[in-house]
Amino acid sequence: MEPVTETFESRKKHVCVKGEGLSIPVCDKASLPGTVTQRTCVYGGARIVLMPITDSIHLVHGPIGCAACTWDIRGSKTSREDIYKKGCSTNLQEKDIIFGGEKKLYETIIELNKLYKPGAVFVYATCVAGIIGDDIKAVCKKAEGITGCRVIPVQSEGFQNHNKTKGHWIGGDALLDYVIGTKEPEETTPFDINIVGEFNVAGDLWGIKPLLEEMGVNIISTLTGDSHVDEIAQAHRAKLNIVQCQKSSNYVAKKMEKKYGIPFIKVNFFGLEQTVASLRDVADFFGDEEMIERTERIIESGLKEVSHKIEEYKKRLTGKTVALYVGGNKAWSLVRPFEELGMDVMMSGTKNGIREDYEMIKEAVRDGTIIVDDANSAELTRLLKEHRPNLLISGAKEKYISLKLGIPFCDFNHDRITAFAGFRGFVSFAKEVDASVSSPVFELTSKSLRGD
Amino acid sequence: MHHDKKFAVVNPSKMCQPMGAIQALLGVKDSMPLIHGSQGCSTYIRFQLTRHFREPIEVASTSMSEKTVIYGGEFNLMKALKNITEKQSPSMIAVTSSCLTETIGDDMVGIIEKFEDANLDKELPVIIPISTPSYVESHVEGYNRTVKALVEHLATPTVKNGKINIITGNISPADVKEVKNILKEMDCESIILTDTSENLDAPLTEDALSLYNGGTTIEEIEDTANSLGTISLSKHVDSAGVFLENKFGVKSISGPIPIGLENTDSFVKYVSEIGDLEIPESIEKDRGRLIDAMVDAHSYNYHRKVAIFGDPDFVSGLTRFTCEMGMIPTVVCTGTKSKRFIEDINNISEEKGVSPTILAGGDLYDMHREIKESGADILIGNAYGASIAQEENIPLFRVGFPVFDRLGAQRISVLGYNGGIDFVDKLTNTILDFYYDEAGYEIEEPEEVVEEFAREEI
Repeated sequence: MEPVTETFESRKKHVCVKGEGLSIPVCDKASLPGTVTQRTCVYGGARIVLMPITDSIHLVHGPIGCAACTWDIRGSKTSREDIYKKGCSTNLQEKDIIFGGEKKLYETIIELNKLYKPGAVFVYATCVAGIIGDDIKAVCKKAEGITGCRVIPVQSEGFQNHNKTKGHWIGGDALLDYVIGTKEPEETTPFDINIVGEFNVAGDLWGIKPLLEEMGVNIISTLTGDSHVDEIAQAHRAKLNIVQCQKSSNYVAKKMEKKYGIPFIKVNFFGLEQTVASLRDVADFFGDEEMIERTERIIESGLKEVSHKIEEYKKRLTGKTVALYVGGNKAWSLVRPFEELGMDVMMSGTKNGIREDYEMIKEAVRDGTIIVDDANSAELTRLLKEHRPNLLISGAKEKYISLKLGIPFCDFNHDRITAFAGFRGFVSFAKEVDASVSSPVFELTSKSLRGD
Repeated sequence: MHHDKKFAVVNPSKMCQPMGAIQALLGVKDSMPLIHGSQGCSTYIRFQLTRHFREPIEVASTSMSEKTVIYGGEFNLMKALKNITEKQSPSMIAVTSSCLTETIGDDMVGIIEKFEDANLDKELPVIIPISTPSYVESHVEGYNRTVKALVEHLATPTVKNGKINIITGNISPADVKEVKNILKEMDCESIILTDTSENLDAPLTEDALSLYNGGTTIEEIEDTANSLGTISLSKHVDSAGVFLENKFGVKSISGPIPIGLENTDSFVKYVSEIGDLEIPESIEKDRGRLIDAMVDAHSYNYHRKVAIFGDPDFVSGLTRFTCEMGMIPTVVCTGTKSKRFIEDINNISEEKGVSPTILAGGDLYDMHREIKESGADILIGNAYGASIAQEENIPLFRVGFPVFDRLGAQRISVLGYNGGIDFVDKLTNTILDFYYDEAGYEIEEPEEVVEEFAREEI
């Protein structure tokens, strides 16, 4: 088989085309040293999962860089406290590396607790903290005893794995081991749920929550968007977990099923079709006639409200192609929403995909779609140049690669400022996609004064 | 001063050494920066740089993970050097260490030598190891060490070139352009270490996606040993200048950063002296325009209290400049622990009759607390000041790094006479927008009688 694009020998099988034999690229392997991988580290993976807990301090135990580059970057909105946005670090110095950082960590936790009275202090281990062997668990336990505040160790040394998915799991484990099940709800209803894997980026949660509440569902907690740690502590009493980001959070849902017997269903509130299906799935799960009826009415009015609003965008977008290079979940969950706008996904790929992610992508896309794993900058550039999609969906680091090629771009990551979830979110999504794809500025890019 | 916080850093006002190193390296032509560490190091640095400059930022990683940490990073580093050499053929690979590889004790110099020995028959790029542990000092030191490493490895005495070396420090591409513009006006031939003006403010063209194709060349860096002198705009990044002076007798001048009238005057005079060059009329005119702008603006900014934070030289430059404008610095903050910074600010304070609270090695929490204590009508610094400004109900004038919440960070200019004009105009307009009504009358504060100030001019 011919490689899809020119690259290193060992990278050839990381890019494939659906329908041509492989259909699933080689994945979950260490990145090739010396390439500009778009991946991050295990610490990043853990932090991204826990950071949206709004009433907590997120303390990075390490040198300043790890905290300095990652505080307040998730774009997760809050309706209450905002202490989660603070960038906290133990700022380890050379002497701490030599003599150990445990004392400094302890004092820092005591100090931060005094300053902010947080719901919890999450302590993240970085590469160096791991190497010098600081016993973070012991320090957290001691500090918790003194402060009476939850102090939660997150063993997220950056080098632990090539795949930040491991960091998602470690973040999940911190919640499972230290938070979930530690508080009983004052009252329960037959329709208690947790929304798992929804991080309220740009306010997505607020497009989902009202729909569910109108159905008559009681939301105990969200893991972790716009949440308080106390709410997550009560999550074990839910009758159902619904999982939005299945990349980061299937792990937690599966573990909660095993430990507490809470079943879970996978939902997806991007796009009209998937929103409708998700609401129906939740209602069907409870099987309550009144809820099913209410849900149908919510769906009907939701669709009615938005369907005419997307017509104009759809007119301009129909027939245009889009490439996805995103997190594992979006790599397949965005395929249908784009098709609903009349667009055609011609490439999909992810930075940290594991085999089950690629199974999902393979299911979602049509034959002939390029599927890429851990594409580095050079490969991504080459693929974009060769296939020139009308739009790239990716994150901040890839944004200007796309724009320099004159290819429209939408941020679907930390820097996203518009909520896309639910019925109304889909209109915003269509509007944002149109604003990129249809902008006249992209017609100027190939023109030169000298006519070349 | 209260001491309610001694250990924790809350909202850092500094970054780590590799970040400063990469910022310096992005001004070297045809080079590829490589961070020897976990993938996160390169990714998060790229993330910060790309949302500030709004350009693609390419920094390779040796992608260290558990197994390689246990057995050392030799395999990964060798492999990375091989892969970059084979696929990208850069003129230079600059390898910066991270806290991870420093702590496990990887001998980067030895590994690089081994790689070079193993490839004797091949044409290899220049490979430069730079030690940048992130638990030592800050990004400012990372920048300093990097420029020093470049000249240490490359500077070669041959024939005198009559040029002046300029070590810019971490300034915006627009400021680099302004420095180049002054030198051009003065007919001064120069070597800029390092010149980020093209790579970090690139036109929209596909070429911008290959290796960094603008900037200082390897040959130019080699030639720094033959120059008339070195001017380090930032006192904190003068190690390369000192090295060139000690080793090759190239005179070294350390600062002050040419921000504001007096500092820019000093810079121009240094260039004129070292290069034995006339100060042309065009420079005098620009200087006159800056003074004109300051005079035009004075009634609006006089005695406004200002709090300033950022890199040490940048802050001291702006402290002097705002004093020249008649403003009153009340809090000045840098994340870097620096005696030179404190000394600079003390000198300015004595000279100008002001007494700002000085925070060296402080974070934004400390600064915010001091602003509450000392007051400020306007905050000058990077995007991380936004929440403080909002809470204190004062405007934030965005300058420095990072500025990711507004467009045009690469075009923000404060250096030299022209940058100064831009700064005076924009800063004063920010004050006008905030403290004056739509017709330009000062908005009265209830408890103060401001009649005489606001109405007098009419």
